[in-house]
Amino acid sequence: MSKRVGIVGAAVTPFKAKWNEKTYYELAQMATREVVKDARISIKDVDSVFYGIYNDIFERTCIPEHALHGLIGMQNKFGTRISTGGATGAYTISAAHAYLAAGRFKTALVLGVEKCTDCFDFMSMSATPEVIKSIGWSGDSFFEQKLGWTAADSYAEVVLAYMDEHPKDLKPEVTAKISSLLSQYAKTNKYAQRQHDQVTPEEVMNSRLVVYPFKELEICVYTEGAAALILAEEETAKAISKNTGKPIVWITGLGEANEHSFAGKNQKVMSRIMSDYLGSQRAYQMAGIKDPKKSIDIVELHDAFVHQLEITMAEFGLVPRGRADTLIDDGLMLPGGKYIVNPCGGLIYCGHAVGASNIMSAWSARNELIKRKKKTAIVHGTGSTIAQYTAVCILEHA
Amino acid sequence: MAKKKEKLIPAEYIPDVGSHVLTIDKEKYLIANDAMYTFYQRTKGEFSTFFLGLRDAKKIFGCKCPKCGLVRCPPFLTHCPDCDFAPTRPVEVGQVGVMLSTPPITYFANSLFLKMAPYGRGRVVLQGADTALAVNVYTTTGILAPGIIKKGTEVKVIFRDDRNGEISDIFCVPTSELTKAQVAKKGLLSSQINWEAAVEPTLKKATASDQAAYKKAFKEIKSVIKLMNETERARKDIAGWKRDIRVKTTGGEFAIIINNGDISLQEKKLSKPDFVMVAKSPKTLADGLAYRGAITDSVIMKRLWISKNMEFTTIFKLDRMARSVARSKK
Repeated sequence: MSKRVGIVGAAVTPFKAKWNEKTYYELAQMATREVVKDARISIKDVDSVFYGIYNDIFERTCIPEHALHGLIGMQNKFGTRISTGGATGAYTISAAHAYLAAGRFKTALVLGVEKCTDCFDFMSMSATPEVIKSIGWSGDSFFEQKLGWTAADSYAEVVLAYMDEHPKDLKPEVTAKISSLLSQYAKTNKYAQRQHDQVTPEEVMNSRLVVYPFKELEICVYTEGAAALILAEEETAKAISKNTGKPIVWITGLGEANEHSFAGKNQKVMSRIMSDYLGSQRAYQMAGIKDPKKSIDIVELHDAFVHQLEITMAEFGLVPRGRADTLIDDGLMLPGGKYIVNPCGGLIYCGHAVGASNIMSAWSARNELIKRKKKTAIVHGTGSTIAQYTAVCILEHA
Repeated sequence: MAKKKEKLIPAEYIPDVGSHVLTIDKEKYLIANDAMYTFYQRTKGEFSTFFLGLRDAKKIFGCKCPKCGLVRCPPFLTHCPDCDFAPTRPVEVGQVGVMLSTPPITYFANSLFLKMAPYGRGRVVLQGADTALAVNVYTTTGILAPGIIKKGTEVKVIFRDDRNGEISDIFCVPTSELTKAQVAKKGLLSSQINWEAAVEPTLKKATASDQAAYKKAFKEIKSVIKLMNETERARKDIAGWKRDIRVKTTGGEFAIIINNGDISLQEKKLSKPDFVMVAKSPKTLADGLAYRGAITDSVIMKRLWISKNMEFTTIFKLDRMARSVARSKK
């Protein structure tokens, strides 16, 4: 029988647009130092490490984790890396959970890090076009890359296909209100890249189109930073919790799905994020959740784009597909509403340090569950071309 | 076949060897110019029939599963995973199809595609195929704006005159913009289409009220540009950037000069500008610079004309400066 696994420590570095003061080595160690402090254990007590690092080009090296292993004090121990695009962090949590649940290890460090804005475009004298280019190498190398594939236009394909099916949903005034709301949440997150960048819905509406239909203030930002969790099997988790005085947040459900990367008959259904639907359904089943609308209190989802946040909420079964705007129209995600969605500010305002992002989301979900005395949270990552990959975690606070 | 001799990495993309020191909180940090590059002689392998079809025969191939009958285009596999890996066979598909869904339009491209922007990239289901082929989509009528190409829009495959055996050898335009003969023609070339040339809009002679509107807008533009120059965040947005812009509006014209962190307004006609902006109403530009709507959107919606699409980069920088000034006021 598999063992119960819980989160007993969590930490993040400040998320910043650019860390000129640090390399990814130091960011990774910084998060590690903080997470063992949070769990009140020594790094010597950690049996294994699972690295979440998305893109070798960002770190400017292949096997970027090899240099980290010794400097975080894990020499001669188990270490492996997960890389699944935007879903890297959630998949890394899932992998660590599997090893602990199977009894291979008692403790695991889940460590996500990314350094992206070292990429620099000398033509425009700015980082962003080169960061987009580096992500662009993730598109299909035979049939997509040379067409100018980007993460944004790839997600936009899915969003526009959804809008073809549901033309009255994802109204610009609703996406603008969601972005504005997330910016308000970031105000209390001292680690957020845009902690002091509160925007009005009108500003969002007036911001420029980057990739139709996405406007600048509806898109996640590129971030450098790291995030870490300490996971432990039940007995070890209880001992650590007793020592820290902090409750265990259990990982009770996990679900993953990767879709087809080509579209059309019998392939990817463009108007859906089936990976979100299947991943969440599998996670609910594992956690014994029959009606997510009744069970889920806190949502920390991967909001690469506001429109995708809305579709993902529908695929999770938390709002009807085609009526995702009820998140605002019916006040479901407004303060005091049914769901607390991305209280850290999400990837749009806290920031998107790709490999670390979903781990940051888990850090936030754990904090919120404990602070608000809520029971259940869902943490999510989505990635790859046309929102192909998903990993979902259900966290519960007894 | 490709006729032009080009470098895999154009010379203008390659920075010089160099480094500089950045001081943050009195600590010095060394920042070095760097690159990671790898060259390939990469086979197209099992996709060679498809890519040779694009390059040489101006034909598009898919592959058909004899068991389920599914025709996949592009032919991204040799055996059908839905039919216990039954071997597929190449089949030619049509050069007209319909858009599977509404294609996104990229205005802010990655550094390799700045010259190509704005461009649409969507998926077309060609006649005789069941799956969708990713393609660039364009209009022959100028800048691609939302609404021109949508889900279900019938499009025609166009072959570039200069082809290398890549997916970018083809693109699509709406059949409604072509003649019947062009739609029917197999292997239609880009040079065989009438592309509407970018023509600078003519401005009407200014009336007294136009003159008054110009004076008012000019005054505001002057004051916003002064503010931009005084805002550190906005100055950073144009660090390392130089552009001389000739601005023509009903009522008058002027120059905006961007010079490595500085921006200025000058009441003169530039004879050799980097590019020209034309706005019927000077208020369009005043609104954009004052953060009352994006200049980018004004270009897309044809309220403001620019002589070079490549200069969307400069437009983005001006939009960013407007936002930086707004943020600094908070």
